Amino acid sequence: MRDLSVVYEGLDRVDGSARFGFGSTKSLCSVSGPIEVRPTLENPSQATLDVQIRPLAAIAGTDSKALATTLKSVFTSSLFLSHHPRTLVQIVGQALCGTESGSGLGSAGRGWNASLTASLVNASTAAFLSAGSVPMKGVVCAVAVGRLQPDPSSSATLIMDPEEAELPRLDGSGCFAFTFSAVLPASPLSCHDVPPCALTWTNYTTAGPFDIQEVKRATEFAKKGAQEVWLKLKESVRWLEKSAASPLPSKADVKKDDEETMGEMEVDDEKVEI
Amino acid sequence: MPRPPSPSIPEKEFVYGALKQSLRLDGRSMLEMRTPALSFGPELGWVECSLGKTRVLAQIDAKMVKPPPERPLEGIITIHSELSSMASNEYELGRPSDQEVTITRMLDKVLRRSDAVDKESLCVLAGQRVWHIRLTIHVLSDSGNMLDCACLAGIVALKHFRRPEVEVVGDEITIHHPSERAPMPLSMHHTPYCFTFAFFPDPATPPLLDPSHLEETLSAGLLSVALNAQRELCVVQKAGGVPLSPEDVLRIIDVAVQKAKELDKIVEHALQEDWAGRNVEVR
Repeated sequence: MRDLSVVYEGLDRVDGSARFGFGSTKSLCSVSGPIEVRPTLENPSQATLDVQIRPLAAIAGTDSKALATTLKSVFTSSLFLSHHPRTLVQIVGQALCGTESGSGLGSAGRGWNASLTASLVNASTAAFLSAGSVPMKGVVCAVAVGRLQPDPSSSATLIMDPEEAELPRLDGSGCFAFTFSAVLPASPLSCHDVPPCALTWTNYTTAGPFDIQEVKRATEFAKKGAQEVWLKLKESVRWLEKSAASPLPSKADVKKDDEETMGEMEVDDEKVEI
Repeated sequence: MPRPPSPSIPEKEFVYGALKQSLRLDGRSMLEMRTPALSFGPELGWVECSLGKTRVLAQIDAKMVKPPPERPLEGIITIHSELSSMASNEYELGRPSDQEVTITRMLDKVLRRSDAVDKESLCVLAGQRVWHIRLTIHVLSDSGNMLDCACLAGIVALKHFRRPEVEVVGDEITIHHPSERAPMPLSMHHTPYCFTFAFFPDPATPPLLDPSHLEETLSAGLLSVALNAQRELCVVQKAGGVPLSPEDVLRIIDVAVQKAKELDKIVEHALQEDWAGRNVEVR
């Protein structure tokens, strides 16, 4: 799996925002809620969820709108929307990369591949964590899995987090989203520092036919990746306050800030102990 | 979200009183711009520009198309700049607010109609194939003066972008992948920058440059001037608002000329720094 990166953007006009990346496949998500809603969209028993997805190049087309509808159902099941009736929770997801071919080689391969979708789901989760205003049932972590089957006789190999360059060689891929929650039943094989998880959504598609055993295998395989994503999100919450607020800091500034805040944190600890 | 609440009366009176004494809430002087910070992404033509808390992302895409029959020798440039709810909760997708319409029109005037990019150099085979350059502007956060930030991001992205090298032999066109031959920059005639000045109802208050969100909401009129570092005016836009005398306008344009020169230096410096850090040519 590629290097995971989580940056809490601290965008000014929304409640929470975060940027999540699998290597160079990144997306940015912002969350606002609960906020005032138009009377036509008002729901008297729960908050209205509005999901907008935008690709990097050009305006949102049919595939972005289709993805938005799918993600709406994913997040509706993972948030306590009934706690805030007659309000709006607005999620805006922005892809920060198309493919490697940003140099005028046409629009082949653009669109929402599995890794980009997974980074979008993770970015929305991180944005919800940073906003802290909408109660969540669990932390949704997603990871992409690809399938490689060189010929029909050999068994398929599963690849974790395929890169854009590997996509043309795959004959199947999908994004698996898991909800991590302490109230779910724990399986005996799970590791101890990560809460149990359940599969919430997947869009696993292959060129050839596949059976339910393969889906189970792919789910188990993806679960390990999702656990790594969960650990990364947990670690990143430490940096939530020191978000990448404007202006965009240069590398020298960021290093100095880290050293200064480390010094300050040590002083605070001493005071607390006394 | 329905119309956002207008600023409270104490806020309004405090801001007007402070501006009368040439004091701005964030400590800037009246004609001081927030320092632009430019950050370039992994691909060429991907730039994120921020003016204080206002952040804009610009990305350039290029592909080859058949030109329209009425203009067979020129390339095509299109600009997409839809505001999403990420910029602020008050913007809704599909319902262009006044501000969004102003931004779209200004971007079109400043980046396309001012002939910043040489369209004839984008022609590959006359009447058959030309480059279609697509600039997409995403406003990530609106903390006042989205227009200047968007224009800056757009022009820097155009300067940063490199299109693949193309070889034409007779009627055959060969496009070389960037890993084979170094890509070429777009040929630009000039580099326009946009500056927005805000005016207030009290005639004793001097105009201020680069309004923040609160100052923009409380202003009585906005004047946007786009010009390049060679003292050439590209666009002057004043859509309604407080009436201004010609001397006021000329004074503002003088200020904008100074700022354009400074901004040009900042942009050149940022582009050179980024270029030194990338290895585009493979030897």
